Amino acid sequence: MVGRPLDESDLIGRAQRGDTHAYEELVHAYQGIAFRTAYVIARNAADAEDAAQEGFVKAWRALGRFRAGAPFRPWLLQIVANEARNRRRSAGRREHLALRAAAEEPSGGAAPSPEAALLSAETREALLAAVNELPDDQREVVALRYFLGLSEAEVAETLGVPHGTVKSRNARALERLRGLDV
Amino acid sequence: MSELERALQQLGRELEFPREPDLRGRVRGRIERRRRLRRSLVFAVALVAVAFGIAMAVPQARSAILRFFHIGAVTIEHVGTLPAAQERRLAAGLGSPLGLDAAEELSGVPLVLHGPRPRNYYARPGLIATLLRVEDTPVLLAELAGDQVGIVKKLVPGTSRVESADIGEFGLYVTGGPHVLYWREGELRPRLAGNVLIWLEGGRTYRLEGDLHKGRLLRLARDITR
Repeated sequence: MVGRPLDESDLIGRAQRGDTHAYEELVHAYQGIAFRTAYVIARNAADAEDAAQEGFVKAWRALGRFRAGAPFRPWLLQIVANEARNRRRSAGRREHLALRAAAEEPSGGAAPSPEAALLSAETREALLAAVNELPDDQREVVALRYFLGLSEAEVAETLGVPHGTVKSRNARALERLRGLDV
Repeated sequence: MSELERALQQLGRELEFPREPDLRGRVRGRIERRRRLRRSLVFAVALVAVAFGIAMAVPQARSAILRFFHIGAVTIEHVGTLPAAQERRLAAGLGSPLGLDAAEELSGVPLVLHGPRPRNYYARPGLIATLLRVEDTPVLLAELAGDQVGIVKKLVPGTSRVESADIGEFGLYVTGGPHVLYWREGELRPRLAGNVLIWLEGGRTYRLEGDLHKGRLLRLARDITR
């Protein structure tokens, strides 16, 4: 989960008045979550990078229409997600989310942490494979909600769909994944 | 939160995402280039305005200047009398409806449209179009790649009005009496057209046509390309 800068509304206000340094700080604060959001949608690192960059440029141009006091992160992520979706359709190779190498290895005899004990390596692989095989609309909700830590409201705004749609897509995805008996 | 949801959260912490790029420099570069371009444009527009003022003082030059102007892939021509044309449906002359993938393949233009996607699309090489519904009003969105002329509009000054529109790199709003639209002059039958917003953005010409006022078309346009 990416933290928000403490003086975010101040940075936004300055950026709205044309201060590029203030906007650069916003880019710095949000480029991680923007890139990851683009990646789970476009499923290609190069497209995700392009989408995040284009999203920040478009967000700069649209800052005048950003409502003061509204949450900035989902507003920005919606622009990035749209860019990623446009690139996904024309993209060739689509990558699957994968586990870090260390996460795949057994603990080597050491007592597993309570968190690590929750899932065995095989279960992790199976669960991730099942997420990768979900239909795009369900996979996106699962990835944004659980992998990137967005709230349901943020997922709805990012994907530009009603809150209820996020809930139903999430429920359908969890139903499919429950078949794995995790 | 269920056990499965907790397991998904844990999985998220163990994922291998590609290395995150540092976008600050590139974003700043794009913003600054755009600012420089806008300053250059303002200067160029001022120069053109001076040249235009001088040229308008010469009667022969004045009539030629007023007759044609281009905005991206659209040419607007002032005529004394409108050519014969009929009122036809918005998508008339654009061929059979296609799915999005087929339309993008035929046109070579990946559609830019944020928000809900319609079912049907129309395509010709270099042009992709679709019908949107805005508060029950049909609106035709057409996107043209590059600046090769793909649309010709003929209008009668005084009957039709052309206003500047604050969108993209350059925008115009055509309203008033109907004007005649040729998707590509000589290839397709012309039809009468009503309120139209045309703008240039990112090397693409956008055109929105529908029975909506300028402010509503502008809001829709900004939503499409946001």
